[in-house]
Amino acid sequence: MATESSEGEEEGKITSGNHVLIVEDDLRELGKKAAWSVSSCKPGNGVGSLRDDNLETYWQSDGAQPHLVNIQFQKKVKLQLVVLYVDFKLDESYTPSKISIRSGDGFHNLKEIKTMELIKPSGWVYVSLSGNDPRETFVNTFMLQIAVLSNHLNGRDTHVRQIKLYGPRPNPIPHQPFHFTSREFITYSCVR
Amino acid sequence: MQMAQSRYLFALSCFQMDLLKEAEAALCPANEPGAEIPNGAAGHYLLGLIYRYTDRRKSAVHHFKQALSVDPLMWAAYEELCVLGAAEEATAVFGDAAALCIQKQYLSHGSASQSLNMPNEDRSAVSARNFGPGPDDASPRQLKHMQGNNLRDIPGNYHGAAAVQSSNGGSSNISFYNTPSPMVSQLSGVAPPPLYRNVQPNVPNPSIPIADSSPRSTVNSTIQAPRRKFVDEGKLRKISGRLFSDSGPRRSTRLSGDGGANANVSATMAVGNGTSNSSKYFGGSKLSSMAFRAVTVRKGQSWTNENIDEGIRNENFDDSRSNSTLTTSSSSPSGDTRSLEQEGAVIPINADIMNGSRSISGASEIMDLLRTLGEGYRLSCMYRCQEALDVYLKLPQKHYNTGWVLSQVGKAYFELVDYLEADWAFSLARQASPYSLEGMDMYSTVLYHLKEDMKLSYLAQELISTDRLAPESWCAMGNCYSLQKDHETALRNFQRSVQLNPRFAYAHTLCGHEYVALEDFDNGIKSYQSALRVDTRHYNSWYGLGMIYLRQEKYEFSEHHFRMAFQINPYSSVIMCYLGIALHVLKRNDEALVIMEKAILADKKNPLPMYQKANILVSLEKFDEALEVLEELKEYIPRESSVFALMGTIYKRHNMHEKAMLHFGLALDLKPPATDVAAIKSAIEKLHVPDELEEEM
Repeated sequence: MATESSEGEEEGKITSGNHVLIVEDDLRELGKKAAWSVSSCKPGNGVGSLRDDNLETYWQSDGAQPHLVNIQFQKKVKLQLVVLYVDFKLDESYTPSKISIRSGDGFHNLKEIKTMELIKPSGWVYVSLSGNDPRETFVNTFMLQIAVLSNHLNGRDTHVRQIKLYGPRPNPIPHQPFHFTSREFITYSCVR
Repeated sequence: MQMAQSRYLFALSCFQMDLLKEAEAALCPANEPGAEIPNGAAGHYLLGLIYRYTDRRKSAVHHFKQALSVDPLMWAAYEELCVLGAAEEATAVFGDAAALCIQKQYLSHGSASQSLNMPNEDRSAVSARNFGPGPDDASPRQLKHMQGNNLRDIPGNYHGAAAVQSSNGGSSNISFYNTPSPMVSQLSGVAPPPLYRNVQPNVPNPSIPIADSSPRSTVNSTIQAPRRKFVDEGKLRKISGRLFSDSGPRRSTRLSGDGGANANVSATMAVGNGTSNSSKYFGGSKLSSMAFRAVTVRKGQSWTNENIDEGIRNENFDDSRSNSTLTTSSSSPSGDTRSLEQEGAVIPINADIMNGSRSISGASEIMDLLRTLGEGYRLSCMYRCQEALDVYLKLPQKHYNTGWVLSQVGKAYFELVDYLEADWAFSLARQASPYSLEGMDMYSTVLYHLKEDMKLSYLAQELISTDRLAPESWCAMGNCYSLQKDHETALRNFQRSVQLNPRFAYAHTLCGHEYVALEDFDNGIKSYQSALRVDTRHYNSWYGLGMIYLRQEKYEFSEHHFRMAFQINPYSSVIMCYLGIALHVLKRNDEALVIMEKAILADKKNPLPMYQKANILVSLEKFDEALEVLEELKEYIPRESSVFALMGTIYKRHNMHEKAMLHFGLALDLKPPATDVAAIKSAIEKLHVPDELEEEM
């Protein structure tokens, strides 16, 4: 039974969200480097509300399902985590219930990499993009698409309040095959 | 604007308001090419600064050298020369000729009592500020402090020192002219007066350039008794602008004190704290901060001398004659100098003779000290840090254990990448001069490197509470946030630092580092370039630019910038290592290997060049050599994941699967970050495939 607050990955269900956004130190937010677009929106509740760091404002779609959020990068980036802020208590029938995450080089070759079912979520919902294999920790891609396939209570349109994308930090020393871990290496690795 | 002194004052005001063109025009009017630079050494120094900040390095160097030849005790000018990389050896500059020169000046001033009048006034204006802080609050404190280290030797800027010295010289008030003071006479060389209580604090003090006053106080602090005297003197001063009459006897006392030249020196040295600052912040907003401090001081806050010193320097010119009275009374040291000045005027006839002999011994003692300090400073500016440390060790204990010297020692260790020693030296410096901010920005970087977040935040808090308007405090605060990986706040703090003093190169460099951490390379480049505009020899900025270009894959640019950094600091193994990386990326592998060898030799403790050498050898397919290097490195640093990972990749290339597996496993055990884990694991997977294929067969 998925009564835990964290994701039950086997079933792809999330029952609730966290109130605080806590991300590991070795991840950094990548959304600033991307071009964000949505399949449809109500005037005043556009794509900007997804990225404004304001949980009061939200994106409201205005068209047929599935509702899409498209995130495109100029270079391939390694993505590890997608975090969404949705709130059933505030949005009720606008709250997404089934999401699908697709990735690819562009609109023409997107493939689904993850699906999640949300059950009355309220807060930050963490969707990890890693596979089971340690080699699949990241998704190295040009484009990510978050699709809202259905909403709670069969609502037509959806509200999403914030989306954040995380990937690994780059090596502070460029052109190195591996990161440095020991104190001695790190001390000598930069001039401040 | 005819009078030389008015021209000088005008130029100084323009300089501090950042109107460099007008300042230059005042000092050397275009239509009078042969005109003499007003105010002798001080004028040359100011002109040198103007040329430095308008990118005319050669002229700047010329004028600083002139300033030194006119007034051999002008430490500030020597400091500037070191920073510009054009300083001659200290033994040459602060040699016997210089001592004689001082001596001469001292004697000649002896008779010039007249000049006192004028200078006094000027000085009051100038020094008023300086002395301000010294007095009241400072004194008791300083006294205490001073007890501990006699010579708070903070040679720092002699700028002030010179002035002070002149005053000390006592010979005549005129001697004060050191630099910023509006005094005309150029006697700066006068030996600093011994710590006299008798010295009338008032008179000459005003002229004493900023730093002097305060530091002096510190130095003199050893003398407890004088306080009372100073107060009296202060009153006297108020009464008569130039109190020469009283100076006679005092003068002799002072002169007798001369024997303890060291004391004098220390007095002058005391200036150090402030001095160094002043020269640097000369044009900056320091003035305002100084003013702030001076004001505070006057209000009897017990700021330590150091604080004042710093402020004082710049504030020279601030207003407040009334301050001078204040200052004069309180600071004994200043008093000394001042009295000297004044006394100079009044020198009794017999004193002249006494002065003469004392001044020689005094001058030579000062020269001795300056020689050591100058040489140490010059070497550390050339980044010959080990030599600089050896030179500083030659100082007598009482000089060594002072804030300025210990900061310099800390700085030398910092450049040698010996952060533990640097931490130790800087913490001693803080104990010696808790309110001195010079060099504290570097201390905060040391703590950043050592990842001592507690100590760093404590340091930052202390600095901010000491002086909210000093760029170093905000640099320390910024480093604190940067250590917590909060780069945006760190950047804001560094920007505040820049705002407080746009001529503080390190603040710009730190802004650059934060921009790079935020991946905002354009602004990063701009910040580094601003830093270089202030100080072309700031090799960290060249390095920063090289790193940005390396990331942006503009390898030629990157190599050029690393090379510039290397030319400025040819002893840094880190810079050599990066130059090698840039050369490797440009496929100039032979040169890269040469540089890596140099880097390995330059600092045995730095493991990176060896690692990079192995990396280069791998790309050249010289796997065996690479493995040798890595084996050696493994012995030296046994817990570095990347070493094992690289060895694993080499064994994999050689199809030595078991060894590869072993090393990859070891690499993973050392907990590298996720990207490496992924890379290593996928390499491991690929290792198995050939085995499977064999089995299938």
